[in-house]
Amino acid sequence: MGYVAVKAGEELIERAEELFEKQRLEGETDPVSVDQLDEQLGRLSAQAMSEGGLYAPRLAALAVKQAQGDTVEASFLLRAYRSTLERWDETTVVDPAEMVTTRRVSPAYKDIPGGQILGPTKDYTQRLLDFDLDGEDDPEDPTQEWDIGGEEPPDTLDNVMDVLRDQGLVHEPDGPTDDDPADITRDPVTYPAGRDAVLQALARGETGAVTALGYSALRGYGQVHPTLAEVRVGRLPVKIEHPYTGVEATVTSVEVSESEAVVPVYAKRDDPQFAFGYGLTFGRNERKVIAMTILDASIQLDTEDEPAENPEFVLNTVDGLDSFGFIEHLKLPHYVTFQSILDRIRAIRENESVGAGTADESSRDADEQLAEASDD
Amino acid sequence: MDTADDRTERFERIASTEADVLGDLADDVLASDPSFTVLQEPNPQLLMQRVREPVEHRPFNLGEVVVTPAEVEVNGGRGFAMYPGKAERAALSGAIVDAAVDAGHPVTGRIREELAAAAERRRSDRNHEWAESQYTAVDFETMEDDL
Repeated sequence: MGYVAVKAGEELIERAEELFEKQRLEGETDPVSVDQLDEQLGRLSAQAMSEGGLYAPRLAALAVKQAQGDTVEASFLLRAYRSTLERWDETTVVDPAEMVTTRRVSPAYKDIPGGQILGPTKDYTQRLLDFDLDGEDDPEDPTQEWDIGGEEPPDTLDNVMDVLRDQGLVHEPDGPTDDDPADITRDPVTYPAGRDAVLQALARGETGAVTALGYSALRGYGQVHPTLAEVRVGRLPVKIEHPYTGVEATVTSVEVSESEAVVPVYAKRDDPQFAFGYGLTFGRNERKVIAMTILDASIQLDTEDEPAENPEFVLNTVDGLDSFGFIEHLKLPHYVTFQSILDRIRAIRENESVGAGTADESSRDADEQLAEASDD
Repeated sequence: MDTADDRTERFERIASTEADVLGDLADDVLASDPSFTVLQEPNPQLLMQRVREPVEHRPFNLGEVVVTPAEVEVNGGRGFAMYPGKAERAALSGAIVDAAVDAGHPVTGRIREELAAAAERRRSDRNHEWAESQYTAVDFETMEDDL
């Protein structure tokens, strides 16, 4: 389908934008500050960073404010901003075991090295509306009476996958590789896609899309129903080689969510071991990272039997900006292309003498009919 | 003599020191009217975060992190800083602080004290966060005997 440009007038576009902006301001309360969004609605900015593939908490909070809470629009703003920046370099490769963990649970094993930490979560409580939050005044920190020490966190926490690997239950990789991984922000994904490209694409996938496709595998449209080895939330160090000394140095850290899963497909293999899935993404987003784990495991099956197992299908549909752009472009003017379709259908109907009694009416120009309607 | 480890540690401390503290220190350095050249303007740039996934031990690109690097020369000493986020003033201040120590500027003693204090604050915050999480460490009990 070809596209034809239209124009309407810059002033009208500005008026529409001003109306949009007015919707944010017309209430009687003070505008929400970027600091408030950053501190109190961190899940929103985390989702925007995750889907934008860009870690910048304050800019993400600004994007959420500008997008009036639309996370995909916010991730669009982040990616647009990102496109204006140079890349300084890649970081040195960091091991997720270096994560300073604030939450870590293992549905697979009760006792794991380093222990299980519930951390900040409401997973185990009822989902009931808290009416006290509406109009709360000077709330108190519910943890202020906690009697806790301040010992150093461990440098690393062994992951559960290593326990299984030590028992020979998970495939032993050939050894660490230091090949430059694919970078889908610079080179488009080609198929068959490498696992590095798959993980990068899923890590920046739209939360709803990743969740829906992961869910499809669980609902029977796939073979993968994993057991999660562990789910973690914490901060990963961001390290570079110092340009003067060449020594590895930490610049900052990024909050991430991580998930590892084992998949019992041993009955189909000569060597009865678990298959696996892995997920890691920016920010606190356990739902997405667990679904990413299911999709990573499903994609490794590389079949066309089910959507979640087809890498091309999954990677072509999970990106929020791609789907957002394609879906929403449909509301933009398509007058010329639609007129062409109308002409074609009328010609076919005329050739086949369909609806002869109404031929005159149906061939009238649509603009003419609309003009008549507006006169009524 | 500044060793590579000193420089690296100073870099890490500058990157995690509050922007207003760095600004005050940089103002003190520049108040003595030293020779001063900006070698790299403080503009936000990207670092691609690479992670080694723990299953097959292969690196992949997780996503990009916004940082602001800057490089300056103060009294013949060179300074480089990289500050997280879009933070032009903090990055430039950090580079000035780094260069001032490299050049042995009279403010060096105060800079070292302030950076050490900021590092201690950060360590204390991190330990407190870890302790809060540890306070929720759980030992699940299976209830098969009760069934």
